[in-house]
Amino acid sequence: MDDDSKWRLLYLKKLETEVVHAFSFLRDAGIEPILIKGWAAARNYPKDVERFYADVDLAVSASDFDLAKRLLRTEPGNKLGIDVHRELRHLDTRPWNEIYSNSQEIRLNDVMIRVPSDEDHLRIMAVHWLNDGGARKDRLWDIYYAVKNRPAGFDWDICLNSVGEIRREWIIATIGLAHKYLELEIDGLPFADQARNIPPWLVRALEKEWQSGMPLRSMHISLDDPKELFQQIKKRIPPNAIQATVEMEGRFDNRSRLRYQVGSIIRKFRPSFSGIRDTIVKKSEVKYRIRRPGGTGD
Amino acid sequence: MKNPQFPIARKTGIVIQEVPDEVLVYDLDANKAHCLNQTAALIWKSCDGSRSIADIAKRVESLAGGNISDDFVWLAIDQLNENDLLENEISSSFSGMSRRDVIKKIGLSTMIAVPIIASLAAPQSAMANVSCICNQNSDCGVGANVNCPTLICSGLGTCNG
Repeated sequence: MDDDSKWRLLYLKKLETEVVHAFSFLRDAGIEPILIKGWAAARNYPKDVERFYADVDLAVSASDFDLAKRLLRTEPGNKLGIDVHRELRHLDTRPWNEIYSNSQEIRLNDVMIRVPSDEDHLRIMAVHWLNDGGARKDRLWDIYYAVKNRPAGFDWDICLNSVGEIRREWIIATIGLAHKYLELEIDGLPFADQARNIPPWLVRALEKEWQSGMPLRSMHISLDDPKELFQQIKKRIPPNAIQATVEMEGRFDNRSRLRYQVGSIIRKFRPSFSGIRDTIVKKSEVKYRIRRPGGTGD
Repeated sequence: MKNPQFPIARKTGIVIQEVPDEVLVYDLDANKAHCLNQTAALIWKSCDGSRSIADIAKRVESLAGGNISDDFVWLAIDQLNENDLLENEISSSFSGMSRRDVIKKIGLSTMIAVPIIASLAAPQSAMANVSCICNQNSDCGVGANVNCPTLICSGLGTCNG
């Protein structure tokens, strides 16, 4: 076993420990979180296939969010690698109380960990993947194994019809992509024909993204590196068609993506520019404090 | 080399993963990963607070074979100390000798591998998707930013100041 493999194995065990600690910690404060992605996705994988993840994503109800966030900033919560989410935001439109009441508890190191139902989690993972523009081909395996290793009682009606028609299309298309690129067996699924009928723009956008080799990052992170800043601007023009469509809640039909891409540019550049503006203001404030007589510079 | 100290292996704030011939340890407080070879792991596991250095040497000798000196055990204890893997601080017993000198001395007289504790660094590819975005210093080193390069939120809004 090489050092990288050892590190990943140990790190995953560390994250499992943190998942358990985080659940105990938040439950002590009366908060019941739901674990999404990460370990919840990895449990669908065969034991001999590693699914690496770097942090722990916990969703909590909107009413618990501020308290959870505050708690996770204090000892011992601040030592846990937890990314806390206010419900599921853009990842799903099913009401939180339904997601919660259909969630399930799975044992991890003698502690019961709450994860979404298999039907809800497949949807969440698919939308998360699409929202990243499908950039990570390896994460398409999450969909592959969630479908391939779904339990006997998996209810496609709950999975696909507890959200609107548009999101239904997204989920089916993502399963179709897992079929096309990873040879997921879809014969016998009630939507197999629709899943095979992937819009050509989706395939083009995906293959372009996989060939680009440059992940999308917040532009203000790249401000100190002109080359990367230029690449990030270039990457946004035109925007990833998958991401733009999902951001604008668009249909996965055969029509042009232009209107979604234009909408996405307006939507995305606004926070990017305000992020850049805030960063420039912050930097000039720091410079001013350093230059000012008696300024501490801190 | 006589020393009346009784080391105790650290049990809290760490995650342990056994792999063939090695024990991997993640220090949750320091966010550091260590790899103990079989000999170091055996010595570490022998540190139960009831055994002296000489007792540990005898135990390793009976379990692993060979002629184990106190210096050999001290070589492991010294590294365990340095990597904060003991509950109680044990003062080093290598008076005036460097670790390299001790390894040379021990290496010639023993049949089993000298105890080694190596650091495991995070592969760059593994952490490529950690964003490290922050608004203030308190956002760094916690939550999803627990593995970012520094605890300082730079003017660019990332934990690498």
